[in-house]
Amino acid sequence: MFRKTALATVAIAAAAALTLAGCSSRDAGTPGSSSSGDAAGFAKDSLIGVALPSKTSENWVLAGDLFTNGLKDAGFKSDVQYAGASTTVQDQQAQIQSMVTKGAKVIIIGAADGSQLGPQVKAAKDAGVTVIAYDRLILNTEDVDYYVAYDNFKVGELQGEALLDGMKAKKADGPYNVELFSGSSDDANSKVFFDGAMSVLQPKIDDGTLKVVSGQTDIKQTATAGWKAENAQNRMDSLLAANYASNELDGVLSPNDTLARAIIASAKAAGKPIPVVTGQDSEVESVKSIMAGEQYSTINKDTRNLVKQAIEMTKELQEGKKVTTNNDKDYDNGKKIVPAYLLPPVIVTKANAAEAYANDPTLAPLTK
Amino acid sequence: MSGIKDLKKIFGNGNTSSLRQLGILVSLVIIILLFNGLTDGLTISPTNLINVVQQNSYILILAIGMVMVIIAGHIDLSVGSIAAFTGIIVAKLMNDFHVPWGLAIVAGLVLGLIIGAWQGFWVAYVGIPAFIVTLAGMMLFRGLNQFVGNADSVPVPDGYQALLSGYLPEVGPDTGYNNLTLLLGIIAIAAVIWREVRARRTAVRTGAELAPIWVAILRLVLLIAIIAFATFMFAGGRVGTSFPNSGIILVLLVLIYSFVTRRTIVGRHIYAVGGNKRAAELSGVKAKRINFLVMMNMSMLASLAGMLYIARAGASGPQDGINWELDAIAAVFIGGAAVAGGIGTVPGSIIGGLVMAFLNNGLQLLGVGSDKVLMIKGLVLLAAVAIDVINKNSGRFSVIGALTARRNKSGDELGIPVNKS
Repeated sequence: MFRKTALATVAIAAAAALTLAGCSSRDAGTPGSSSSGDAAGFAKDSLIGVALPSKTSENWVLAGDLFTNGLKDAGFKSDVQYAGASTTVQDQQAQIQSMVTKGAKVIIIGAADGSQLGPQVKAAKDAGVTVIAYDRLILNTEDVDYYVAYDNFKVGELQGEALLDGMKAKKADGPYNVELFSGSSDDANSKVFFDGAMSVLQPKIDDGTLKVVSGQTDIKQTATAGWKAENAQNRMDSLLAANYASNELDGVLSPNDTLARAIIASAKAAGKPIPVVTGQDSEVESVKSIMAGEQYSTINKDTRNLVKQAIEMTKELQEGKKVTTNNDKDYDNGKKIVPAYLLPPVIVTKANAAEAYANDPTLAPLTK
Repeated sequence: MSGIKDLKKIFGNGNTSSLRQLGILVSLVIIILLFNGLTDGLTISPTNLINVVQQNSYILILAIGMVMVIIAGHIDLSVGSIAAFTGIIVAKLMNDFHVPWGLAIVAGLVLGLIIGAWQGFWVAYVGIPAFIVTLAGMMLFRGLNQFVGNADSVPVPDGYQALLSGYLPEVGPDTGYNNLTLLLGIIAIAAVIWREVRARRTAVRTGAELAPIWVAILRLVLLIAIIAFATFMFAGGRVGTSFPNSGIILVLLVLIYSFVTRRTIVGRHIYAVGGNKRAAELSGVKAKRINFLVMMNMSMLASLAGMLYIARAGASGPQDGINWELDAIAAVFIGGAAVAGGIGTVPGSIIGGLVMAFLNNGLQLLGVGSDKVLMIKGLVLLAAVAIDVINKNSGRFSVIGALTARRNKSGDELGIPVNKS
């Protein structure tokens, strides 16, 4: 008797499990046919997943808030996740998988490391999810559908041009003494920024207008491990001690604001005049520094516009329309050309800060 | 032979542990001279020496606490996170709540003590291994740092920066040097002489074996020459610079903690607990209290390090303190501490930290990329500890012993009776 009941229970449980499994696999089904631009679209209140890296920069924190509010306003349910600071990659892999499990229709990924998400993105794709790479391209996979970002090569170009303009404004004629800094070597964008800047600066170095006194022009020498301010500050200390006891340093190429402020702190501590220093990210402290006449420039890549564009793409997907892109040829992730929507970055100096940040509630008051 | 034995006494009382430190000291000197040659004298220039102190004082302060933790047989992985958490709290207090910076520093130290009491409680009284407790702390306080800081950079006021990362003021007549640094140098020389005289008097009074007077004088001359040279270096930098304030804090802490670990009951008890906990307890050492104090002290020093760093950087940021624990632990082990506990010294760890510091600095001056710097530092750490372990396994380590080994052998060959046991 007991045995029969037990058997029956097991049978029912197994049947239920099978049915459930069957259901879920049917839901996820039609693998292959779920290519980008699903003509059908999906329900208006679907879940949209957003996976962001760790909360170690102002921009990511802001992006998270904007996504939560923006997706809600657009009528979607949202699941915005951050990874832990020391376990970003593992956390993101797990988060993306759970978003797929929860039935997200679109997953927007700000990758901590764009080359380490292949299997998770494939799992998402197989479940019929559309994957949008946000700010950082996901590499070596065919399963990423769209890319939305600021044009990073352009960022580098603008930094290089700003450096030249800033030095020219201080001292009409060269040659100028400059030093170069680049980002962390484990971030693919570091090289793009640096290459962009060098596309402007290298010809000037070759014709003698610019002189890198330390001779350190290789990206391996200029790299700042982990994008950490202390590493940039220490390197700048050494550069000044080694090369600028008698020389004047006119300008420093810095890839972002955090490093720019570290470079300025080093120059101040060494009792040197502050050189022309570039930046990027429009961090609050750097905008203050620019207004105070210390840092020369930063780049405005307004996170609001980028998030807005990502949500715009999501809406187009929901309505079943064709997703708007403006660059379908340059962003090769190693496996395919990813259709991309690139937003133009804006260079900001003291001269145009008020105009550039007019719509930014945090930064606008600082420029008054 | 006795001359060599006496010569060893120049570097302390001639026992093995001080000779092991000597080996590391010799490596440090070699590294400094090597890079000084490679950089055409840049390494030993006032500006660069001041840079090295400014760049490393907070790591070296961590190493002081860490060596005590390691002597007691534990490890602390949470120091970087604690430094970052204290940093953001202190910066916010000053920047957002306009707390005067003196009070903010006190608050930071108190916060360090509270965190330390929390970790010490779990380690000492609940008996959870420090590795686990501080691994948890590493996550907990990093999370708290992000929770409080929200990835913002929070600037700190100028007065605070000037105090913790600034320099001694320029006072008195224009000597071409920073007068207060010169004064510090004179005090240091006087203290060294006084210590030597007192040590000899004590030895005479207690009838202890006395090193020959020429050894004492040679030792004094060496020490005074080094101090005088360093003094002129640090005093001779750009006007407005001196021996950095962070360096003064470091030196004070080294003196205090060297004294505590060598001469006080608590200090000796740390070695006893780390060497053999059961034996120590049976002879009346309160091991729990010692463990508690050691962990609490570490967190307080970590807080101090965090506060020094935000003064140097001018702001607290989200990446502060990442990997600092590893730098501090590396310094301690290069400085001759044993993984199993019971062995290690504060000055040794400082020298170990300086080996890494000058290595880093020298490679940077040469423009070596950060990838290669990491590779070299990793190999140096491994080599330093390997040499120590290999020497321990094959008998006691002694640089001078190694140099004199041949003399012993030749003595044997000459037919001089040697005790072969």
